[in-house]
Amino acid sequence: MNGTSENGVGPSGAPQPTHGAAARKPPPPSVAKRVSDLLANYGLAFVFVLVLIVFAALRPATFLSSGNIGNLLTSQSVTALLAFAVMLPLATGRFDLSVGYHVGMAQVLVIGLQVNDSLSWPLAAALVIGLGLVVGLVNGVLVTRFRIDSFIATMGMGSLLYGVSNWYTGGQQIAGFDLPDGFSNLSQIVGYVPLPAVYVAVVAIVLWIALERLPVGRSLYVIGSNARAAELSGLRTGRYVTGAFAASGLLCGIAGVLLGSILRSGTPSVGAEYLLPAFAGSLLGATSIRPGRVNVGGTVLAILILAFSFSGVQQLGAPFYVEYFFNGGILIVAVALSVYAAIRRRKAAVSAAS
Amino acid sequence: MSGGTVALLSAQHVTKRFFGALALDAASFELRRGEIHALIGENGAGKSTFIKILAGVYEADGGEILLDGKPVDPAQQALPLAFVHQDLALVDDLSIGENIALVAGYPRRNGLIDWPAVMRQAEDLYAAMDLDPPDPERLVLTLSIAEKALLGIVRGLAGKPRALVLDEPTAALPEADAQRLFDAIRRLRDAGTSIIYVSHRLNELFGLADRVTVFRDGRHVHTTGIRGTRVEQLVEQMLGRAFESVEVVRASAARASPVLRVEDLFVERRGPLSFDASPGEVLGLVGLRGGGQEAAGRAIFGALAVDAGRIVVDGRELPRTDGIRERIRAGIVLLAGDRMRESTFPGMTLAENLFPNPLLASRSLWRAQRPASERATAHARLERFDVRPRNPASLIDWLSGGNQQKVCLARWLEARARVVILEEPTAGVDIGAKLSIHRMLREAAADGAAVIVVSSDLEEVAAVCDRALVIDRGRVASEVAGAALTMDALVARSSLGERRPANGAAVHDTAAPASDQSLG
Repeated sequence: MNGTSENGVGPSGAPQPTHGAAARKPPPPSVAKRVSDLLANYGLAFVFVLVLIVFAALRPATFLSSGNIGNLLTSQSVTALLAFAVMLPLATGRFDLSVGYHVGMAQVLVIGLQVNDSLSWPLAAALVIGLGLVVGLVNGVLVTRFRIDSFIATMGMGSLLYGVSNWYTGGQQIAGFDLPDGFSNLSQIVGYVPLPAVYVAVVAIVLWIALERLPVGRSLYVIGSNARAAELSGLRTGRYVTGAFAASGLLCGIAGVLLGSILRSGTPSVGAEYLLPAFAGSLLGATSIRPGRVNVGGTVLAILILAFSFSGVQQLGAPFYVEYFFNGGILIVAVALSVYAAIRRRKAAVSAAS
Repeated sequence: MSGGTVALLSAQHVTKRFFGALALDAASFELRRGEIHALIGENGAGKSTFIKILAGVYEADGGEILLDGKPVDPAQQALPLAFVHQDLALVDDLSIGENIALVAGYPRRNGLIDWPAVMRQAEDLYAAMDLDPPDPERLVLTLSIAEKALLGIVRGLAGKPRALVLDEPTAALPEADAQRLFDAIRRLRDAGTSIIYVSHRLNELFGLADRVTVFRDGRHVHTTGIRGTRVEQLVEQMLGRAFESVEVVRASAARASPVLRVEDLFVERRGPLSFDASPGEVLGLVGLRGGGQEAAGRAIFGALAVDAGRIVVDGRELPRTDGIRERIRAGIVLLAGDRMRESTFPGMTLAENLFPNPLLASRSLWRAQRPASERATAHARLERFDVRPRNPASLIDWLSGGNQQKVCLARWLEARARVVILEEPTAGVDIGAKLSIHRMLREAAADGAAVIVVSSDLEEVAAVCDRALVIDRGRVASEVAGAALTMDALVARSSLGERRPANGAAVHDTAAPASDQSLG
């Protein structure tokens, strides 16, 4: 029987018999097309370089100093992890609005479990990360099994988690005076390399492989594009969506441990302010590298641009609240850009078809 | 009306470019008073562009449009035309009355909406067309496809237009419902409304249209009275070359032993359905709306629950609890009929649309794929299925309907499945693409698959199938094969099927209850 198994609907990893005409290479695109593709695909990279050059010229002494870069990478590592956390459900067309309160709770718990319950830091970290996975799974089940709109389900979950943070702390900050060095060192700078940036890089590489090179990534994007058609292609969409939320929760747990190590105290009011930059990074990232869809490379670039340009503006003397204008403005501009790109693509499609 | 000789609407040398490409090249068109004027052409011939210029969506780059002999600019001021598009843009969750009021306006009393008047307005519009008004409070989602199509037209008439533009109104309609629609359209014409009728189904124009205009490559090719014209002439004018009819090499009468056996299948409380399909044959499943042919196909594919019965592939009975994934692994694939909603992945590349589920090739969830080799395979398939453009990295959104359909077809035919179920494989594609899709079906059968075509296009079934089953209320009402398989035979048998009395009582020609409707 010549079943679906050996020569199936899938892309050929291994050489596969093709029918009739041998596979010819597609014709190479023209130079002009390549340049415009390059600009469209790597626009964020150009913007990033521009940001570096402009601020380095304006503040040559401080902007590109290793201290400034190290601090920036450390402080933005949590935002970057959370941007990845919202990116995975976004790939399937779902929102995870619980990440802000989730990272807040994780941060409170990882300190609290050490200070109040005298757990060792690896155990506390493992518990918090495990709890993150569970919270993500619950989000996924609410969205897939109970068919609650992801917006509503995760918004509700976020508030529940905020409740947990405040219940656990009584609304008070947990001071982390005697935290073990091992825990504090999680966020130290070794030589010129801040460890948090290393974690982000590792997570980014893992996610990039999963999304761009493994079948699981194809499935997530395909579900985001057309869930019904994905189901009719034999994908069990519920499992993938649940998995995306679970991975999102896991990343929130990791981000929480890292945040605890950076802050060295558990503060229940911390967390919510991370939600918006995370979405701004992920959505701005969707305008580049793989335009039209959220992707790892774009997200990393977007976070770097946000961080460096904000830091540059700050060094020019802008007050602290500029950050909020920045994040809000970028979020709106990012979404406007992607909407504009979609309209342009649709117009081109219309003209090609009629 | 004095100016009897002046056309109601006349477009002269209308030109439209998109980014330098000519979509309309000095095209002309004339609509007389009280005529049904068919506008035909392949996809890309410029029909839609022309209609959109009349609607004021696009602005013409050149040419002139005359209304009653006076120049007008539809982009500036709307023409007294009503446009009914293929997707009717009805709001499912609102009632018939509200859907009409959305266009006609809500009657008010003391500034508040006068609901009884809203409903009366709907009834009056139906009555004006000599149609029995349905209950105007009914939600649109409970209407059949035919009733929705009628509502779309009735709603278009609310603005008292002088002409109606119908864009493929019968695309989703079974034959009998199409006839009802034609009656309504003829009555409209007789009452003095002019009608521009855009369609891909050439046969239905005879007996409906008065004149026909052919567009090709953005140009006006020919306008003629429909009487004395043959369908082959129209096809040749559309294609610009001689018409090669598909030579169907029908499988020999002695069929191979069946690969698929369906026994006493009950789906959506209808049945029992029993039939089999053999490798090498193309089997048509036809029937009127609600006949159950689509439900049967989906149940075999595992997309719809089976109430009772057996599905046997290669002698092995498939578990009733199987989902789509298990059925695909068992060698059954299905191309869904609703291309936009159920087949294509918008915003994704052709390669991704060809391989939406890499796991179907039994690849592990964690095994990496090399983009280069996927691109090469994708390119070979695009070439084999004659998809244009042939670039695996271009987005599916950029392709014409026919090419999108070829991509979806390639996805499933290349799965090398034992049983290939195709719903409406050529809906909304141009005649060139239609012919090549038919050729691909025959090739898939020749390669050893049992190909099952679920189609409301009886012309297509007659042309491409070896055998056809007319399904009625979930049962096989009749079977036609070989030389007896003609469109007329199918039309006759399907309508016979529906009128067969159940339990001795006469069956009235009423709309099927909601549960009886076939899947979108």
